[in-house]
Amino acid sequence: MDRPKPIGEKKDGSRFKVLIIDDSVFVVKQLTQILQSENFEVIDCADDGVVGLEKFKEHHPNIDIITLDITMPKMDGITTLEKIMEFDKKSTVIMISALGKEDLVKKSLLAGAKSYIVKPLDRKKVLERIETVLKGER
Amino acid sequence: MRVEYINPFVESSVSVMTEVLGIDVERKEISLRSKAVPVLDVAVIVGLVGQVEGRVLFDMSKKTALNIVSKMNEEEIKEFDELAKATITELGNMITGRAVTKLSDMGYRFDVTPPAIFAGDNMEISDVELEALVVPIETSLGRIEINVALREK
Repeated sequence: MDRPKPIGEKKDGSRFKVLIIDDSVFVVKQLTQILQSENFEVIDCADDGVVGLEKFKEHHPNIDIITLDITMPKMDGITTLEKIMEFDKKSTVIMISALGKEDLVKKSLLAGAKSYIVKPLDRKKVLERIETVLKGER
Repeated sequence: MRVEYINPFVESSVSVMTEVLGIDVERKEISLRSKAVPVLDVAVIVGLVGQVEGRVLFDMSKKTALNIVSKMNEEEIKEFDELAKATITELGNMITGRAVTKLSDMGYRFDVTPPAIFAGDNMEISDVELEALVVPIETSLGRIEINVALREK
């Protein structure tokens, strides 16, 4: 039996491109491993919101998904999200945080995030959320 | 300091460590420290600012830290390098995040600072006019102490 098409592949066979914005090298490593296991292409990483926004603009429009941490130095994830949406309101941003506070989740979704994942991260949870967000585009 | 502040941190430590490390953990007796507290080799500190303020510290020996780092990265890590620091910091971040979410559900409003990590010998921490509650957590990878000093503003 054929293996199902990896979640990271588009209908035309090209790969979804991901920008990871997170100040933890451990989380970046963990997320990269999870994403690459389903053939996503991690095109770049940033360890704070300021650099993350710069990299988003630099790669735009060749980014399909942005994963965004909330508690970060220099510029937090919510502010970064608002600036990303100001630049392109069609951006697909998935928030990833250890904080599951209701107010933060609401604020993120209202600001335009497509999903909110509470850490600890596990492969199944991350891929399920991303698959849901990408529904229709695969 | 009210004991109800520490419970979410202890419960979150137990649940996050069980989930992330896949091992059994055991909560030991709580103690109150009102003077300078010795800190083990590796410590992650997270600040809380708002309706509740203060700090939470997770400390452990270097050996315990390396055991945890190796487990979380699924490979043996012998040096306390950048990845090791990030891994321990992230463990502290996940525990604090879950505890803060519980406290927030209880009606407390505050923000947390990004976690910081310290490593060294013979460290100690003093909190002016702030008592600390300490709960050790025993695991097969070693012992972690959760040291919480918070107050309502």
